[in-house]
Amino acid sequence: MDGEAQRSTASWENATLAPVDSLRSERAESPMPGLVEGTEPGAGQKSAMFVHAQSFEDLTAEGEDEREAELDKSGECADELKVLVGEKSVEEQHNIDVTSETRTKEEDVCSEAWRSHRKHVFVLSEAGKPIYSRYGTEEALSSTMGVMMALVSVVEADKNVIRSIHADGCKVVFLTKSPLVLVGVSRTSQTDKELLRELLYIYYQIVSLLTLTQLNHIFQHKQNFDLRRLLAGSEYLTDNLLHRLDRDPGLLLSAVTCLPLASSARDVVSSGLQAAKSESLVFSILLAGDRLVTLVRKKDQFLHHIDLHLVFNLVGSSSSFREGEGWTPICLPKFNTAGFFHAHISYLEPASQLCLILVSTDREDFFNMSDCKQRFLERLSKRSAYQALKEALKCPSYSVEQVAIPELRHFLYKSKSSGLYTSPEFPEVYQSDAEQERLMGLYQDLHSSLHHPSRPLRSFYRCGESENLLAWVTSGFELYLCFSPLGTKALALSAVNKLLKWIRKEEDRLFILSPLTY
Amino acid sequence: MSAMRVDAKVVMLGKESVGKTSLVERYVHHRFLVGPYQNTIGAAFIAKPIQVGEKVITLGIWDTAGSERYEAMSRIYYRGARAAIVCYDMTDTSSFQRARFWVKELQNCEEHCKIYLCGTKSDVIEGDRSLRQIDYHDAQDFADEIGALLFETSSKTGNNVDELFQKVAEDYNTTAFQYMTPEETGVDLGQKKDSYFYSCCHNN
Ligand SMILES: Nc1nc2c(ncn2[C@@H]2O[C@H](COP(=O)(O)OP(=O)(O)OP(=O)(O)O)[C@@H](O)[C@H]2O)c(=O)[nH]1
Ligand SMILES: [Mg+2]
Repeated sequence: MDGEAQRSTASWENATLAPVDSLRSERAESPMPGLVEGTEPGAGQKSAMFVHAQSFEDLTAEGEDEREAELDKSGECADELKVLVGEKSVEEQHNIDVTSETRTKEEDVCSEAWRSHRKHVFVLSEAGKPIYSRYGTEEALSSTMGVMMALVSVVEADKNVIRSIHADGCKVVFLTKSPLVLVGVSRTSQTDKELLRELLYIYYQIVSLLTLTQLNHIFQHKQNFDLRRLLAGSEYLTDNLLHRLDRDPGLLLSAVTCLPLASSARDVVSSGLQAAKSESLVFSILLAGDRLVTLVRKKDQFLHHIDLHLVFNLVGSSSSFREGEGWTPICLPKFNTAGFFHAHISYLEPASQLCLILVSTDREDFFNMSDCKQRFLERLSKRSAYQALKEALKCPSYSVEQVAIPELRHFLYKSKSSGLYTSPEFPEVYQSDAEQERLMGLYQDLHSSLHHPSRPLRSFYRCGESENLLAWVTSGFELYLCFSPLGTKALALSAVNKLLKWIRKEEDRLFILSPLTY
Repeated sequence: MSAMRVDAKVVMLGKESVGKTSLVERYVHHRFLVGPYQNTIGAAFIAKPIQVGEKVITLGIWDTAGSERYEAMSRIYYRGARAAIVCYDMTDTSSFQRARFWVKELQNCEEHCKIYLCGTKSDVIEGDRSLRQIDYHDAQDFADEIGALLFETSSKTGNNVDELFQKVAEDYNTTAFQYMTPEETGVDLGQKKDSYFYSCCHNN
């Protein structure tokens, strides 16, 4: 990457664009700098859908926004644990040595190719047992993991202190989340903090499959337990999540994007979900591919965007929900690391992209959930909104040309109070995977600068050889713009207002302005 | 929308990747999906009506995930089941061990559940006999011992798959009214919910 060259030409402005916080602008008026949270384009009208959290700060504020577990499932959990960690008969022990035979990523761990991967991720137990490796099999890597464990115990003075090692263009970052240790080895220009955020996602991914209670229980009883036994067949979820972390702006922005849809149609869909409620139902989520159509939640219960991304990842990684109706335990770690929810997952129609996820607290409630889905579908299919929704699936994004700003190639806009973001499709110049990842890398750099732990910036303009970038954050929104190299800084600055006006005009379609509860 | 009655709960059990999902896929959709293997996550439910003589019986099939991770959850899938299809991969010895485990589990917890042993991937063995790891007679002996029926199937060719499910439905039909299990008549709330009215997806 030509990151170094770009960095040296980078210049940042600190105060010029800073919003005047006292200047409140009313929703109906044109969006001007000075937007405060809650009035920015895309802000929901009633209440937020998500737990309010600038989750980038999650690492330091861990636990702060953890909701109190309303739903006490510890009893049930303990029951399940007994079965899981109960003594295994010899016979069973026998058939357990199977964990990695289905892995396809056999790769020689001594090869140059293996060493040159941009980003390695390893997960191990505190006893140093391998649990996950992004590339190569864990067996082949067990000695590497051993070395890492030794490093971890040396570098960490006390628990939960995170350190990193920088050497030779390579960064090694450690995240200790007892009983797991996560290690990232990166050749990218990402900061430690970015890398840690990614490791944290991987940690949550694993917790979502097992619950933290179960993890702790297992390792308390058997320090050198081979966790791969329980994670068998889930490696691809972690692989996919890592892939998303490189590519999905939502994970970077701690936000979710919506399917563009006329608000009248979206409201019909939402109220359909609202009507199809059930005692044990906590969240009803309708997805179109990687985009949210709507989310209806139980009053006073909030979904954290990390949890929602884990659900996206689960649904998006697997074709298994195409068959019939899925019913699976899932832990939503930002909601409650102790217990499982049970998710009813099904597509509205066999070949449809529309996937409905009904999250219930009761594992016995499959048929009730199935009935909710049926009621929802029956109601929806009678209305024209269903047709509008299906039409909207045909153009799940929009081109940047619609915004009509010269030299603007791409942007990310996040409304902080709603936790939703919008972004046009990638233009011609960023069609290849490599180019898209490069652009995402640039956005990540900007993001790091805006969120720098000791000197955060409010705005940042950067000229590069291939594009010029502007990032801007206020208390209401975060905005990242990518211009062709022909663009000038003046042009970029004037574009901000234009873009905000456009988003305000389109916000009905691009955001969920009136989230519902039941 | 029509509310469809699910007559018999049928559960698919067995080690991961033995071919449970492929069996259901073959039986319900008459196809075999090639491409990378996708583990089932949790379990999948599918209702399938089947003609038995004059009658139509609807099987409510639970295709469970083989991963050990879900083992603690498995009871909700097999509780109250009238039939269990316990699968093993005929080319994989360890999967037969796992099948024994499920049989034991069912015998302990679900005495009214009829067991069908199913050796999968017979097409692979036909291609190369040396790949067979589970002798037919050993499997048959085991089946006799536990009072189960044995089927050897291929989801790839469809061999014996319809026969298996047909037999499940017929057996249900002949024994359905002989007895009611205590759980079916009991007042266990949890149980009530997964009994016997299931709304089917075929609306209009
Ligand atoms: N040749 C052949 N391959 C089969 C047959 N049945 C299944 N397979 C293959 O075996 C693999 C696993 O099949 P699945 O049906 O997904 O296995 P499963 O038992 O549902 O696995 P879990 O959901 O993880 O428990 C897939 O790659 C299938 O294509 C068969 O009859 N013949
Ligand atoms: Mg399966």
